[in-house]
Amino acid sequence: MKTILSRPVLTLTAALLLGALGALALTAAPASSTPPKTLENLQAAFNGESNAHARYLAFAQKADEEGYGQVASLFRAAARAEEIHAANHAEVIKKMGGAPTADIQKPEVKSTRENLEAAIRGESYERDTMYPDFLKVARQERNRDAIQTFNYAKTAEAEHARLYGNALQNLDSMKGAGKGTYYVCTICGYTTTKLDFAKCPSCFNPVDKYVQVD
Amino acid sequence: MIEFPPIPSWDGLHPLIIHFPVGLLLVAPVFIILSLVSKRSGRAYAMAALILMLLGTAAVFVAVSTGEAAGQLAERTPEINRVLTHHEELAETTRIVFSVLTAAFALILFGPKLLKRELGRVPSAVLTLIFLVLYMAGALVLSNTAHNGGTLVHGYGVHALVDTPAATGQAAAAPSAPSAFERD
Ligand SMILES: [Fe+2]
Ligand SMILES: [Fe+2]
Repeated sequence: MKTILSRPVLTLTAALLLGALGALALTAAPASSTPPKTLENLQAAFNGESNAHARYLAFAQKADEEGYGQVASLFRAAARAEEIHAANHAEVIKKMGGAPTADIQKPEVKSTRENLEAAIRGESYERDTMYPDFLKVARQERNRDAIQTFNYAKTAEAEHARLYGNALQNLDSMKGAGKGTYYVCTICGYTTTKLDFAKCPSCFNPVDKYVQVD
Repeated sequence: MIEFPPIPSWDGLHPLIIHFPVGLLLVAPVFIILSLVSKRSGRAYAMAALILMLLGTAAVFVAVSTGEAAGQLAERTPEINRVLTHHEELAETTRIVFSVLTAAFALILFGPKLLKRELGRVPSAVLTLIFLVLYMAGALVLSNTAHNGGTLVHGYGVHALVDTPAATGQAAAAPSAPSAFERD
């Protein structure tokens, strides 16, 4: 036994194993073709999120002027989330060799009721059409980073649409009420009114990654 | 020619690893029972049970970590999110429960020796029986976690992203319908 498992034999075996694993890793690595469609989608999403960030901040200001303090807080929280989504998308764009660019339009600000309606339309489109389509392509292209950042955004947008819907329904009773308190996950942008969990329900990071927005 | 399967990514490891905790941790109590009934090899069976628990608990840690990575890439709808979050919580509980159970069983096995105080055969058997009852509660938590994971996969079609030969390098040829292949 001792002669069979002598040191040179063991070293040789280890070297062979390492070599085989190395070769395996090389052959297992996917071909490095640039997936242009996902990069294009990431740019579109980065532009959308950057504009949504600017738009919601303008909507928040209007809501404050009209005496809807809680709605203003919600817009600020969502703006923070969109900023996080934009930053996440930008990181993936850079990783893919691109440069994130956004064309920030001047937000069209109307009454808070109309702003909420516009926000719901935007979030619903992102939740039901834009991100599902982008995810489909990212899955086909096996782009894990893109799937993750699109998933984070899609999950948060669904929550935004729900929160805006609630606000629109109760808008009359919200007039004159003070600020609201919202919590935003700094990793994935998930937005919530209550921190009744230990880990973020979207990205599973610890709850201490959340920031309070009011 | 011998073909090696591709090395899975961390998130793609979840569907492979999850069978280990279930198998190892549900077999461990069989060895605990054997340790109680075998007069000659009781200690050896108990040691085998502890090794199974240690391996099974280590596998739970890997399963939770790979599961979180897989979950970040999983298909998301509010309904799936709800089940996914519940699965995550159950998995966390499983991890805590089996960490405690494994430590407790190690204490039952080595505690008396460390304290240089030999327990009699009867008190030791009673302690092991009490442990076995607690272990069954843990096994229930584990089974629930596994069942919940099964519901995610087979009920909601949520799959980890596993690279298939057709997918690597042939992205454009992938089907556009949301098939199991696409989400697998
Ligand atoms: Fe967003
Ligand atoms: Fe999060």
